[in-house]
Amino acid sequence: MKISILQVAYKNLLRKRTRSVLTVLGIAMAAWVLVSLFGFNKGYETSLNRDIDNLGFQMLVIAKGCPYEAATLMLKGGTGLKYLKEEIVDRIAREPEVDGVTPMLMQVAFDPNKGESGGLAVYQGVDPKTFPRMKSFLKFKNGGWFSDPGAAEAVFGYEAAELEQREVGDMYLIPEKDVEVKVVGVLERTGTQDDGSIFLPIGAVQKIFGIKDELTGIGIKVKKDADIAKFEAKMFELPDVQVVSLTQVKNTIMTLVATARVMVLSIALIAILIAMMGVVNTILMSVMERRQEIGILKSMGAMASDIFKLVWIETLILCAAGGLVGSLMALVTARITDVLVRKLLPYAPSGGLVRIEPGLVLTTLGLVTLIGLLSGVYPAWKAGRVRPLESIRSEEAS
Amino acid sequence: MDIATSRKTIAFLTLLSLTAALYAAVGCDLNDPDRDVKRLFPESTGFKTRYVSIDRKGGEALLREIEKRLGEPFQGLYETADVPYTMYEITKGDVLIGYIHGVNQKGKYGGLQVFLALDTQGTIRSFYFQKLTSKAAKAFREPAFGKQFEGLSLEDFYAYDVVSGAEMPTGRVSRILNPAPEAESDFRAALRATKKNLVIVDEFLLGNRHLAHFKAKGERP
Repeated sequence: MKISILQVAYKNLLRKRTRSVLTVLGIAMAAWVLVSLFGFNKGYETSLNRDIDNLGFQMLVIAKGCPYEAATLMLKGGTGLKYLKEEIVDRIAREPEVDGVTPMLMQVAFDPNKGESGGLAVYQGVDPKTFPRMKSFLKFKNGGWFSDPGAAEAVFGYEAAELEQREVGDMYLIPEKDVEVKVVGVLERTGTQDDGSIFLPIGAVQKIFGIKDELTGIGIKVKKDADIAKFEAKMFELPDVQVVSLTQVKNTIMTLVATARVMVLSIALIAILIAMMGVVNTILMSVMERRQEIGILKSMGAMASDIFKLVWIETLILCAAGGLVGSLMALVTARITDVLVRKLLPYAPSGGLVRIEPGLVLTTLGLVTLIGLLSGVYPAWKAGRVRPLESIRSEEAS
Repeated sequence: MDIATSRKTIAFLTLLSLTAALYAAVGCDLNDPDRDVKRLFPESTGFKTRYVSIDRKGGEALLREIEKRLGEPFQGLYETADVPYTMYEITKGDVLIGYIHGVNQKGKYGGLQVFLALDTQGTIRSFYFQKLTSKAAKAFREPAFGKQFEGLSLEDFYAYDVVSGAEMPTGRVSRILNPAPEAESDFRAALRATKKNLVIVDEFLLGNRHLAHFKAKGERP
């Protein structure tokens, strides 16, 4: 019966089953960390990009001091809002880099009948001409956008509609102002902040809240080939405005995530080094234990290269098996990793945070196998150099 | 990272999450369970939360049964069999002393959230609106309005027809006064929500204790 070198290598590993399994597990753990880490990197970036794309614009111009706007809304019920002059919209729209602009006016009403001590209701005043074009991904469950830029009408995000139990044709009362608006549309669930929004035509918000020619923000869609950094610098020249570039914000978030990634990657590298040492140790020990056997093989005509190949294949099997088990572990635990990471991160975008694609699994397998090949060089070389007579004699003596 | 960039990041993240934070919890949970349970059951020492839905317990057949006991089919986009109900079982030491449960109800101008605190027999201890959008909200949130529901149970509400808004024969539900006659539809919505709440509690927590009474009434008020 002819036995291949691969079968011999496999059988050799089975002779010390526990040791082989432990070595495979060590490599699997390192591969698991690697796949999960790179899967997280890919998933986080994809989800963050989607969240930003779902905003419909890449740049937001707000009044100076507005980084604290959200906190102000919470604390003062909107009385501390900062405003931009509406005329800035035309000025921005004239810039050659601009593909579109949409003015927005956010207002807050205090609802004394929400909870025990009242709560806030937020209204997004949007321009019916430009906003739907920028948010073309928004789909309606029922109804559609406003009939008129100043109409007393409202479009509800899915969750806002569910909370207020509103359907198309229903009336809705804006608390504090005691103004009735008609529900003309209910949006489908998007998984974004739009689900909780109540949209009104910007003209209606200005009228209801008594605000004239002022806005809280301007969304800007920049042309694809435009130099965003240059355009951003141009926007800073506008008086009393603050520019929030979502590209820049995305980069900042990714930098923060990258810092954490470097730390985890360092740990993963240490784990890989330890696993590598484990492989070298296992194979070297196995070579030492089999000196006599290797000697006999050589005395029967096996060349040094055959022995080298045999030991190298043993290493390869260990590493490939470890890589495969580790990748499977990462795939199986991806959901748990997602939940854990989400709890740890101060801001996590919607959607899956860990994305493990076939390419990533193959790359990891390739990397682990390469590490295996490198780890196997020394033990294989050592095995190849065993002198037949010396090894047989030494065994007899012992 | 410089201060300006940090500010922008904070601005972006808060803007991104602001509206979501305000409207995140759809369903009918207590806003602050620890505080609310202590307020409604001052003698309590703890509570357990159970999540149930008609869908999971009995599907379409159970939905029909509940609609029959309510006296009207579930309506609209949001009153469906898959709505999750959060039920609070209130304990004092190891002893169960009551329940708290809330339901969403469509009102004329917005959603109503009607919460009931019940004893272990299903009798109302307290009634209150956790959320109410109505032109007469102030009148409905007066403690005197909620007080009228105390001591009533599902047996009293079986005689109340949620469609016509009448009680035949007149009984304890008819004695509940509408503090704002101009907001009759919201008043009726509050009564419907109470009946629905009691039917659901009877089904999920009381082992249909009041079902026999419903059948004895000829299944229709």
